[in-house]
This record gives sequence, structure tokens and C-alpha cells, in this order.
Amino acid sequence: MSQRLQSIKDHLVESAMGKGESKRKNSLLEKRPEDVVIVAANRSAIGKGFKGAFKDVNTDYLLYNFLNEFIGRFPEPLRADLNLIEEVACGNVLNVGAGATEHRAACLASGIPYSTPFVALNRQCSSGLTAVNDIANKIKVGQIDIGLALGVESMTNNYKNVNPLGMISSEELQKNREAKKCLIPMGITNENVAANFKISRKDQDEFAANSYQKAYKAKNEGLFEDEILPIKLPDGSICQSDEGPRPNVTAESLSSIRPAFIKDRGTTTAGNASQVSDGVAGVLLARRSVANQLNLPVLGRYIDFQTVGVPPEIMGVGPAYAIPKVLEATGLQVQDIDIFEINEAFAAQALYCIHKLGIDLNKVNPRGGAIALGHPLGCTGARQVATILRELKKDQIGVVSMCIGTGMGAAAIFIKE
Amino acid sequence: MLRYHMQGFSGYGVQYSPFFDNRLAVAAGSNFGLVGNGKLFILEIDRSGRIVEVNSFLTQDCLFDLAWNESHENQVLVAQGDGTLRLFDTTFKEFPIAIFKEHEREVFSCNWNLVNRQNFLSSSWDGSIKIWSPLRKQSLMTLTPRPLEITKMVDPLNAIILKKKSFTGISKNRNCVYQAQFSPHDQNLVLSCSGNSYASLFDIRLPSGKNQNNFLVHSGLEALTCDFNKYRPYVVATGGVDNAIRIWDIRMLNKNESATIKRTVPGQLHNSSCINEIPNAHGLAIRKVTWSPHHSNILMSASYDMTCRIWRDLSNDGAKETYKTNSTDATKGSIFNFTQHSEFVFGADWSLWGKPGYVASTAWDGNLFVWNGLG
Repeated sequence: MSQRLQSIKDHLVESAMGKGESKRKNSLLEKRPEDVVIVAANRSAIGKGFKGAFKDVNTDYLLYNFLNEFIGRFPEPLRADLNLIEEVACGNVLNVGAGATEHRAACLASGIPYSTPFVALNRQCSSGLTAVNDIANKIKVGQIDIGLALGVESMTNNYKNVNPLGMISSEELQKNREAKKCLIPMGITNENVAANFKISRKDQDEFAANSYQKAYKAKNEGLFEDEILPIKLPDGSICQSDEGPRPNVTAESLSSIRPAFIKDRGTTTAGNASQVSDGVAGVLLARRSVANQLNLPVLGRYIDFQTVGVPPEIMGVGPAYAIPKVLEATGLQVQDIDIFEINEAFAAQALYCIHKLGIDLNKVNPRGGAIALGHPLGCTGARQVATILRELKKDQIGVVSMCIGTGMGAAAIFIKE
Repeated sequence: MLRYHMQGFSGYGVQYSPFFDNRLAVAAGSNFGLVGNGKLFILEIDRSGRIVEVNSFLTQDCLFDLAWNESHENQVLVAQGDGTLRLFDTTFKEFPIAIFKEHEREVFSCNWNLVNRQNFLSSSWDGSIKIWSPLRKQSLMTLTPRPLEITKMVDPLNAIILKKKSFTGISKNRNCVYQAQFSPHDQNLVLSCSGNSYASLFDIRLPSGKNQNNFLVHSGLEALTCDFNKYRPYVVATGGVDNAIRIWDIRMLNKNESATIKRTVPGQLHNSSCINEIPNAHGLAIRKVTWSPHHSNILMSASYDMTCRIWRDLSNDGAKETYKTNSTDATKGSIFNFTQHSEFVFGADWSLWGKPGYVASTAWDGNLFVWNGLG
């Protein structure tokens, strides 16, 4: 009797426990038919703003030429019938209306049928990742089976479109203490982070130099070759290599650069902040049941995405709050994560987040970050997804995160397959 | 809804007669089946819609399952807690016409072969499945699902999953084969599920050692029930302690994995493809899943949460595969939730007769309910 009773008790206890358990790492490692999987993730090279390879072309050109290459490499069943793509979401920050018109046009030109709808998204620096989340959610709830998330930015051409400070027209809002914080320049928000949390200029320069060294090494070792698709330029030349990374950058060489935002006592410089850049990236997502049916390859799977709001005047702390939120939602711990792709908007804010969360520095941006590679705003999130899926090994877990202007943070979790 | 109350007994198994549209058999145990007598009830639904007992057999130990003889309208087989199987003739009183004694522990399930109608099988807490003929006292064959040692798991990912499970119960019950079923399409195929979270698919034509494919079905938690789809020969459903129902395509090796996983033991690893899942289908462990005899995409589940639920498998629309999963539906594919039981529901069966949708369910509350799950 006691064994029969014990057996029944085991079933009850474990099934009651199972409800909490279902979100833990071990169950995340299991593949399920309803998983949202990444079939392909690629990017262009990242061009230097104002003087790089992409300085003479705008986002529509970049997106069109990227899509030609991206779609050309789609697995056969999908390339043969682009109607299978049921939604395109494209992140962009600086274009008028987030590029709703010209980016839809680029999609049509590249062969995506008019019957596939398009949405332009702008959540500042997280726009590319937000596009991935938008598509993933639609797949999750069954609105669509396959979708394409994109991110594109030409800071060269469109930085002038929008007052980088943003605009508040209402006089009442201009005087409102909270509202006007949204107008604080990003560099100043970073100075606030550096000053409030005592991140020294030396630490920032060391972090930035490290980013340059990692990126240059990765570039030379050809680690980006798999993720970068060539972009053909109007003059017939081809750009397929990042322009940001450069050799021989050290903390000493960066230490001589003058502060950019607060001349006398600032610590944020052009050397320890992200570069102004142009680029485009794309992530193709599907439900696993459909990917299996079509025999599509699977790079990895999307697990979860969370955003948080933080005080606008220290917007750079965003990842320090977004990452714990997404970890909690999935039942993971910081130690469970194998690689963090944390966008290096500025060295100070990235360092703050890394220290605050107790992240092993060796797990952060192993192939360099935006300080060395560049930060084409709307493209960055999708670019990080393409990069992290090459950095992770099978069954490793990765986090992609960034801070967001006007005070937010975003973080998403992916598992490599 | 019709009701019959088995005074002093808790229901474990129920099956409609394959020969008479108004006849049911229920396997039950006293003291919740934990200790004491068992009882087989033969019930009939009379013309006025009442359920009446036409015969019953008291046994020395609790009864956990039953199966009507598919080739004899008066014979019912029961699975008993003392390790025996007993064949009763419903026209007789009191004593069985045959006893089959080989299992060393509780027999938890029995199932008659629907294709050849000559054989039946049993599964037991002793870790074995036995195939029998009613004409012979000794079993024809003993099948033992192989991956009983969790530490000897071949798939490295499964090993990670299982190692991280800190549950204690699994080690005690892991040998238990909770249920085994003959395929309704092929007399040689047997599916079983065990406390080690694995389902095993046997082809009894093959020599032992090469006749089984094992696949992890419930994340390291006990797999309590399994069933073949009646229309799609390659589709099976499983249910278990993770509160999930999972639907598997037993044809497919997972294309993406087959190349990377080394098969150190031939036939040991079969990555059957999970084509659909209903996570948190019930609030507690699932004790029974059974596919509709009338629809290729409808199944029923019974659970410790005291409910029976009818589900639509959204990966198939009744004619073809849709590649949807139940997660994409707001109701998760739920069609009906039966909440009349006041204790753990252990047994449920679809009626083969009349308008599709009638089912019988039985629970620890001693009730047998007959109800329509499809409206």
C-alpha cells in the first residue's frame, strides 16, 4: 500500500511543482514544435558614417541590396515561394516615419510580394530587436507562420532629418521637469551614468580599447564572414567588410582624445562611445513545426524579450534592468548565460550594466561591440542577433541587450541549435 | 449525463463493450486502490437511460485496468494489483475462467490486440510488458523498455535535462510501465510509456535487442499514458506528470539532430518528432489520453485535477497536416471540460456507438459518468 500511495503522491507533488519548473533552464533546452526558431540571420558590413562605403546611398538602397542577397540565400522552398513570408517588420530610427514608405518599396523591389504586409518600427536603438520580437510574437500566437525582421539605418544621410535632441513643441512640456529629460543628449546621459556611478575615464578607455582589439581580431580571423552579406554599391564596388575596427587601439591611445560633451571634466569621448554608422541586418523567423515541414535549417531559437523603462537622464542603465527582467521571465540566472551581446552605446553605461549584474567580462561582446564596429541605430538589434548566433555553440544561451534613448532598456534571450 | 456510483470502490479503468452498444465494464479498487479488494463491474444502460449493474466480480486485490476480449463478447480481462491478469466470463458468477500470473508487481494496464484479436498485452510496475494468448498460461513474449538507467542516456541533451531534474520520485517509479497499447493499425507494434519519462515503440517481429525505439516524452518526469491515433498510424499521444499532452510522429527522426547524435547502442535512440504539444493541459498530472474513434484530430485526457478534457489536435485539420500547434489557439484547442468528478480521474473511454462524442469516465470518487464531449 505504501508504495502505491507514494507513487500517487509523487505524481501529485511533481506535477504541482512542474508548473514552476516549466520555465527553468532545463525545459528551455528542450525543442518544442511551437518554438519560434531563427532560420537565417545576416547583416551587411557596417559602414563608417559620413565617410564610409555607404555614405552616398540611403536606407532604401541598402535594404533593397541587402534583401537581394539575403533572399538569394534563403533555403530553396522559401525562395521558391516568398508568399510564405507573412509579415515583414523593419526597425529604423532616423528616417521620416521610420521609413514606412521607402522600406516597403525596397521589399517589393526585392521580390517580396505585395500581399506580404509591412510594418515600420521605431523604438530607438532597440528597433532591430523590437522587430525580431514583433515577428516572434506573431508567430507565437499563430497570426503568422513565417516572418522577416529587419533593421536598417543610414546615420550619414538621416541624422540631419531629425533634431538629434528630438523636439517638444508644447511650451508646457518644455517646462515640465520629467518631460524635458527626454531632450537630454545621449552623451550627457552617459556623463550622468559615469559621474553618478563613478566609472573612471581610464576604465572606459580600457573597455573601449578592448572592444577595438576584439573586433579587429575577429575581423582578421574572418569570424564575421558568415554573417556579412556583400552589398553592391552604385559604382560597382562591393562592400563586405566592417569599416569600424582598426588596429593598435589601446587605452593609452584613446586617453588623449578630448571629451566630446563636457569639455572640462567629461569622460565620454569619440573613442569610448559608439561610432556613427550605416548598416542593415535581417532575421528570418518561423515556427519550428513549419520550419520542419519545409525542411528549413534552424540556427537557433528565440526564447523571450522584455523591455523596461528607466530614468531618461541615465538611460544607459537600461540593460541593467532589462536583463534581470528577461532572466526572471525565463527562470534563468546570469550564470546560465554563455554570451552577452550588450550594445556599447557608451563604454561607461555598458561597464555600469556589466558590473551591476556581476557579468563575467569575458562573456560580453566577444567579437567587439558598437564602440569598434559601429552603431547604426535601427539596425543594431538585428545585427547583434546575427552576431550572437555565430558566437554561441550548440545549446548555449545568449542575451542580446541595449539601452534606449529617452530611458529604456531591452533584452532578449536566444539559444543556439 | 448518466451516472453510476460504485459504493465503496474507486474507478481506475473503463471500457465500452465492442459488441453491445449499452454495455460497459469498470475496473475498480477499494480504499482508492491502495489496499484491499478489487471489483469488476459489468454495467448496462437500460432503455430509460439508467445505468444498472448486470454482473460484478470481487477480486482479492485492486483492479487497475481492463480490456474486453475483441473476439468474444462475454469475456473481460482485468489487470490486478497482485501481478495477475484474470479473464472473466460475464455470464458466469464469481470466478475467472483463466488466470495469467507472471508479473512480479502490480499490473497497471492491459490491452487487447484490435487487429489479430488473438493476443493481449499487459504492462506492470515490474518494468516489463508481456504479450499473451488467452489459450496459454505462459506469456508469449516479454518486452522490457531498455533505457531504465537514466545515467546511461545516449542523447547528451536529454542527459542534461534529466540530470538537472532533482525530483526524487522518478528513481522509485521509473521502472513502472504505466501503460502499453497495441497499434490499432499493425498487430506487431506496441507502444509503452514508463516512469523514466520515456515512451518505447516495439516491433515484436524483430529480434529482442533490436525491436525497440525509445524516446524521451515528458522532460524527465513520469510518462503515465499513451495512445495510438486511430486514423493516422504514425501519430501517438502521450501524457504525464509535466501536465502536458504531447503528440508525436513516430515515422520521423528529427532531421536536424540525426546527423549529430552518435548512436552508441543500436536502436536505443529514436528522436521521434514532437509535432504538437498542449502544455499545462491540466492543472495536475495526466493519467489517461485516448484518441477519438471517430475523428483523426480529437483526443480526450483525464487527470488528477479531477477533470476530463476533450481537445482538438490543431496540427491536423481532419484531412491533412496544418503544422499549427495548439499554442497558437486562444483556447489551446480545448473543446470541452468535464468537471463533474470530485476526485482524481483515472479512466475514460470513447463510445464506439451511436452519435460520435459519447464518453464514459471513472474516478476515485466511485462515479462512472457517461457524457457527451462533443455537444
